[in-house]
Formats: sequence, structure tokens, C-alpha cells
Amino acid sequence: MTGGSIYAIIGICWSLVYLVTTVLNFTTGEFVMLGGMLTWGLHKAGLGLAFSAFLATILTIIIAAILERAVIRPVRFPTEMTYMMITIASASVIKGIVLLVWGSETRTIEAFFGTKVIQIFGASITPQVIAVFCLLVLVTAGLALFLDRTLFGKALRASAVNMVGARLMGIDISMVRLFCFGLAGFLGAVTGIFIAPITFTGYEVGMLTGLKGLVAAIVGGWTITGTVLAGLALGLLEGFCAGFISSGLKDVFALLVMILFLLFETISLTPKTRKRPL
Amino acid sequence: MADETILEVTGLSKHFGGIKALNEVSLTLEKGSIVSMIGPNGAGKTTFVNAITGVHCPDEGSAHFEGRDVAGLPPHSIAALGIGRTFQLEELFSSMTVLENAMVGCHTRSHKGMFATGFSLPRARREEQTIMEEALENLGLVGLREKALSPIKKLPLGERKLVGIARALGMKPKLLMLDEPAGGLAAHEIDELVHLIYDLAGKKITIFVIEHNMPFVMGLSQRIIVLNEGYKIAEGPPDEIKANNQVIKAYLGEEVS
Amino acid sequence: MKKENLPATLPWIAIVAIIAALPLITSSSYVIGTMCFIAIYGALAVGMGLLLEMAGIFSLAHPTFFGLGSYSGAVLAVKGIAPPWAGTIVGTLFVTALSYVIGAPLLRLRGFYLACATFGLLVIVEIALGQLGTITGGHEGLVGIPPLSIAGFVFEKDVHYYYLSWAFCFGQLWFLSNVMGGRVGRAIRSFRDSELASKSMGVNIPRCKLQIFMLTAALASVGGSIYCFYLRFTQPGIFGFPLLVDLVTMIIIGGGTTIYGPLIGSFVITWLRELIHGYLGNILPRMTAEVDAIFFGVLIIVILIFMPGGITGWIDQFAAWVKKKIAGSRQVTA
Repeated sequence: MTGGSIYAIIGICWSLVYLVTTVLNFTTGEFVMLGGMLTWGLHKAGLGLAFSAFLATILTIIIAAILERAVIRPVRFPTEMTYMMITIASASVIKGIVLLVWGSETRTIEAFFGTKVIQIFGASITPQVIAVFCLLVLVTAGLALFLDRTLFGKALRASAVNMVGARLMGIDISMVRLFCFGLAGFLGAVTGIFIAPITFTGYEVGMLTGLKGLVAAIVGGWTITGTVLAGLALGLLEGFCAGFISSGLKDVFALLVMILFLLFETISLTPKTRKRPL
Repeated sequence: MADETILEVTGLSKHFGGIKALNEVSLTLEKGSIVSMIGPNGAGKTTFVNAITGVHCPDEGSAHFEGRDVAGLPPHSIAALGIGRTFQLEELFSSMTVLENAMVGCHTRSHKGMFATGFSLPRARREEQTIMEEALENLGLVGLREKALSPIKKLPLGERKLVGIARALGMKPKLLMLDEPAGGLAAHEIDELVHLIYDLAGKKITIFVIEHNMPFVMGLSQRIIVLNEGYKIAEGPPDEIKANNQVIKAYLGEEVS
Repeated sequence: MKKENLPATLPWIAIVAIIAALPLITSSSYVIGTMCFIAIYGALAVGMGLLLEMAGIFSLAHPTFFGLGSYSGAVLAVKGIAPPWAGTIVGTLFVTALSYVIGAPLLRLRGFYLACATFGLLVIVEIALGQLGTITGGHEGLVGIPPLSIAGFVFEKDVHYYYLSWAFCFGQLWFLSNVMGGRVGRAIRSFRDSELASKSMGVNIPRCKLQIFMLTAALASVGGSIYCFYLRFTQPGIFGFPLLVDLVTMIIIGGGTTIYGPLIGSFVITWLRELIHGYLGNILPRMTAEVDAIFFGVLIIVILIFMPGGITGWIDQFAAWVKKKIAGSRQVTA
């Protein structure tokens, strides 16, 4: 369940950025990692836990913003693949720096919602887990409200649908893009902080989590509700898989789901166009 | 002129979602004839060509080319059967030279696979040479032989359209469908185009032209088919069509007494 | 005529001559060994670059084919089932068949989705190779692979593999540039430019894509076999994400608009890396992998922003600029 919530939120990060900026941001996963690692690092350096978390989030947002300004914007021939490669490279750089500064061991933060184990439906859950799920609900609801009710949210949706049109209507596209990235950074960091006590955090946490968030976004069709549902489903299935089959293969599971999904999508699209095969 | 039917289309229909782009269109083309299809924008002319050449799969109806049922076949098979076409928006291969564009047209007529070309075997090289000569010939027909080695990007619109025709000729087509070949051309270029079409018809190629340019169409065609909102509303020699009230109404929106 | 092909033969004769003569000039096994890797990785990058840039097929499965070719040859040789050269052939056939099975359904996917699906494949195969311990030696890999021997000649020394890998590399380059210059190559470039026109001119696009996919997979497999017989060792970790990143880096930096660009990329990157490691080995002994990641990450970003055509693209642009200047000055003086 935690997994599912995480994937759902990360999936939203992917969708948001992709829909508005057509960028497939592979550093999304790294935002999660940064949230956790920066909090740990700052805490270790002597700052209070809450303050570290807060600062870590701010820093991640700044990094996300820098990413948009310095790396994404200057690209002269913006194809999907170029963005993909450039964000992968950026993720690599971020990972490398983190590795350099803090080494490769996994770290953890104390669970800030307490460690009391509760039994629900026969499964043992800690308050931390509940917190993650609440986070998901908050984020989804908050986002939905924001996009629907506020002016800025509507501007975001407009840009996602038609960027040129939006620009003509007076919407400042560069602010919108920057905001999207910043938001993704924020969500990623917060998620990372929340899950750090549960799953450990280390420099490679980013990639796998980010990937599964991507799967959620793809399967969910890049919509918010779809992504959330897909993410939760993925988390649940993954949990079953780990329980019944070996847990080493559970990561494989998400990828298999993605491949199968993509295949079925194409298979369903092609027969309609041909009455007869070759 | 032989009276054999080269293309027989019956009740062809095509929808896109809720829009019926083609409504039970039927027509026949005789070998060696020059036929035009006209109609206001959005009438379904390009859709018609797309349906015949396999880009779209017709929802209803049939099309027989030289007696074979071609409705629903993929485009490359239809090309291999001998239907060539040009495009309203050119669709040239912009990273290649004029000659290479023309040579792609000859794709269906060559067969040497990867291994023969990869190892530069003599028969592959010979075939390549033959294709190059054919392509140059086709370019000569449209008058662009000297520009064979120019990159496409450098050519002006009129010449690019001619390259499209040369490319389609590479297939040694028996039916050539031209989609708005005169669009954007200057007066003298249009004259040359008319000569070219007569030349091609003389070589027993059936020509089917979609156009907006009325004088061009009227002077060139033996028969004109009029499409409006997916329906065929008229068919006949140019004089008849000119006087046809329904056609005038479709274009101008009112009857002329 | 076609920029994608090998340019005038003269520079290439010179390059081949230099490569051939290198072992006579230096007997440093470090240099020879590094050049070996450059050739093998270079060949792999060239194949992948062809797929990615020229055919527009964003398949990230290349390292997988490389790895499977490697493993097939290795496993068969270690278990004594087949001598290395036969293992190579069997492995290549296996990989080619596999690429058909994978390619037929997957190649229909649009660019990014194809990348995702093939990436998924990459990870899955890597994990699978690790899990099948009894056959493949598990995560630690397979050791004790016998050296390659053909008709009694045993490839034992670095120099032998040097000539073998460079012969393979140049051979592949020649073969692929012939293919790209001919009918199939034109077909590939045509559907890159306009799918609509391409298929209307008779190009069977799915079949074309599959053909080139299988061809490059087969070549990757052969390269993989040479690789494992050279190293006498193989491991799942070699063929995963890091290799993919390396290959893509080579393609980007060397330039994807030409066939030989990635080979230049391989050369530049490998030596750059050696330089960095050597230099840093004294300053930050344990940090090489991280610095690698940072340095090359930044390099990719910079190149993608400022020199999207890579080194060869930049050379082309520079050459064109020079030509214009010369033509310009000629006009003035005429």
C-alpha cells in the first residue's frame, strides 16, 4: 500500500510535467531521493529533523527549478528523446554528486509519526504508512481542487492542452513550466521524506521509484485519476508478488506490467485499420 | 484509347468518428484516360485517394484495380500493384537529394536484400545502377535531370512538386493519382504541368487529378467528377459540369438561373 | 552524395593503416587493450546509433543482445558443449531469432514507448541472467571461459583480439554503410522523413524496421561473443544500465548523423575516461565512478544543448562554414 501511494504520487509528477511541458523528466525519481537524502544529511549535520525536512524540500524545489531553467529551456531542438536523454544525464549528475558527498550506504530517518504498530485487517501497519496514504489523498484532492478552481490551475490545464493557444491568451508559459517542475520537485521531495523512515534511502532509490511512477503514469494514460489508480494497483500487485514469489523479482514485475500494457495497447489499435492482412 | 476499366469503385464509404468523409462514392476509370475530381474544401477528395491507395481502410464498398480487390490492402502492396500518387503537402524526403527521392519511388521494382547490398555484391550494384538510371529518366521527364544531386531543401515549390511526380513514376504506375499538383504553381509552371500530364497519358498511364484550379481542370480533363460533403454530386465532361447547377451551388452556395 | 555514408575513401585507408600499424609502434598492453574495447564498444555503438538516429527506432535493447551473445558463447564453451567459434555462431542465431520475436510486436510502438518497453526488457534480462545461477553462474558471473580458437589458431594474446575486434569493427562499418547507401538504407531514411510517402511508394515499413533491428542485433551478438572470449569472463552487471548509458553517450558525443560517428564517440569517451581516472587516481582514489557519472552527465547535457549533432555533426557544420567562407571570398576576388 505504501508502494502504491508512492507510485501514484510520483506518477502524478511525471504526468504533470509531461502534459504541460512535453518533457519526460527522468529526474523525477531523483527528487524523491533528494528529499530523503538531503533531510538525512542536514539532520546529521546538526539541524533539527523538522527543519531539515523543510530545508530539504526547499532545496529540492530549487534544484528542480534550476533544472528547468538551465537544462531544459536552452535545448534548441526539443524532441521527446532529447529531453529524455538530457534528464537522464541530469539524474546521473545528481546521483553522482550525492554519492560523492554522502557515500553509497543506505540511510534512514526516524519515523516522525511514531513507531507503534497497529493491526488492521491482519496486516501490521505503522502510523508512518498511514501518513503516506494520507499524503496521497491530500495531494490528489489538493491538486484536483487547484487545477479546477484556481486561475493558475486552469492556466496549467490550458497549457497542457494547447501551448500556443495558451500563450496567445496571455498565459505566461515560462512561469507555468517552471511551476510544474517546482511542483514535481516539491511532491517528490515530500514523498521521499515521508517514505525514508519506511524504506531506506540511498543514492539509487531514485531510479527504481521513478521508473515505477512512470509505469503508473503510462498505464494510467497520463491522467491524474488514471495514474493514481494505476499506481495503487501496481503497489498492491507488487506486494502480492513479493509475498508469493521471490521478492527479488518484484521490481521486474512493474516492468513486465508496463511491457504487457504497451503491447496490448498496440494490438488493440491495429486490427481496426486493416480488413485483410498482407 | 482502350475502353478497358482500370479502376472500379463501388459504394465507397469512410467515416472518421462521427464524420462521414465519403458517402457511397462510385466511379470507374478507363485505361489511359484523364479524369479529375473537384469539389469544395473538405469534400473528401483526398480521403478518396487515401482510401484507394490504402492509407485509410474503407468502411464500406469495394475498389477493384485491374480486376483485383484492393480495398483494405496496406499501402505498400497497392503501390506494388501499380498505383502511384503524389501528395497535397508534398511529403518529400527532406533529408535526401532529388535523385534519392526519385529512387525511393523505384523501391518496389528492386529486390536485392540487405546481404547482397551489404557485401556490395555485383548483382546488387548492377540493380542499384539500373534504378539510378530509371530515376534519372523520370527526372528527365519532369525536366529536373540537372538538379538530380541537389538536396530537396534547396528547391522551390514548383520543382519540388515535380520531384513528387518523378518519384511516383518510379513505380511504373498504371494509375497515377495527383493530389493538387497545381497548387502554388505559377502560370508557366502550370502550362508545363499540363504538357507533362498529356505526355504521361500518351504513355498509357491513367491519370486521376484532384484540383481546385478550375481552368486547369476544365482544359485538361476528359471527364470530371464532383464531390461535395462526401457525396458524388455530378459526373461528366467539362462542359456539362460547368453548367451543372448543383455544382455551382456547392461552390457558390446559391443557384444561378 | 550521401552524408550518412563513409566519406571519401582516402581518410579511411589512412585510419585503417594507422590502426593496423599501432601494435607495431607500441607494445603496451594497456594501449592495445583499451583500443580493443574501443573497437568492440564502438561497433556496438555504431549498430545502436544506426537504429536510434537513422531508423528512428528507439530500442534500448541493444546491450541485451550484446549480453546474450556473450553469454551464449560463454556458456556453451564453458560447459564444453561447443568450441568458442561455434558458440558464437549458435549464439548469434539465437539472438537473431530472439530479436525477431521481440521486434515483431514491439517495433510498432511509438518512439518513447518503445524505449520504455525495451528498457524494461533490458532490466528483466539482466535480472534473469543473475537468477539462473546454475546455467549462467549467477550474479558473480562466469569465469574460466576458454579463449577463441579458429582452425587451430588460438587467440591468446591481447594483440590477437586487437586485430580481430578492429577487423570486426571496420567490417561492420563497411557492411552497414553499403546497406545504408543502397535500397534498404534509402527505404529506412524515407520512412524517417515521411512515413506516409514512404509506404505509398511501396516500402513495407514494419518489415524494414524488423530487418534492420535483426541485423543490428546479430552484429551486437557477435560483438558480445568476441567480448567474452577476450575477457574470459562475463557477468550480468556488465550488460545493464551502465552499458546503455555508455553507448548512448558515445552516440550523442560522436554524433548520430553519420554511421561512423559513434565509433569516434567510443574513441573519445574511452580515452577521456582513462585520462580522468588516471588523473584523479592520485587525488580522489575511491571516487572514480561518481566523478565519471558527474563528468559525463554534464558533458552530455552540454553537448545536447550546444552541439546536438555531436562531434561529427560539428565537423560537418564547420566544414560547411569553411566552404562558405571560401566561396564568399572567391566571389569577392572574381
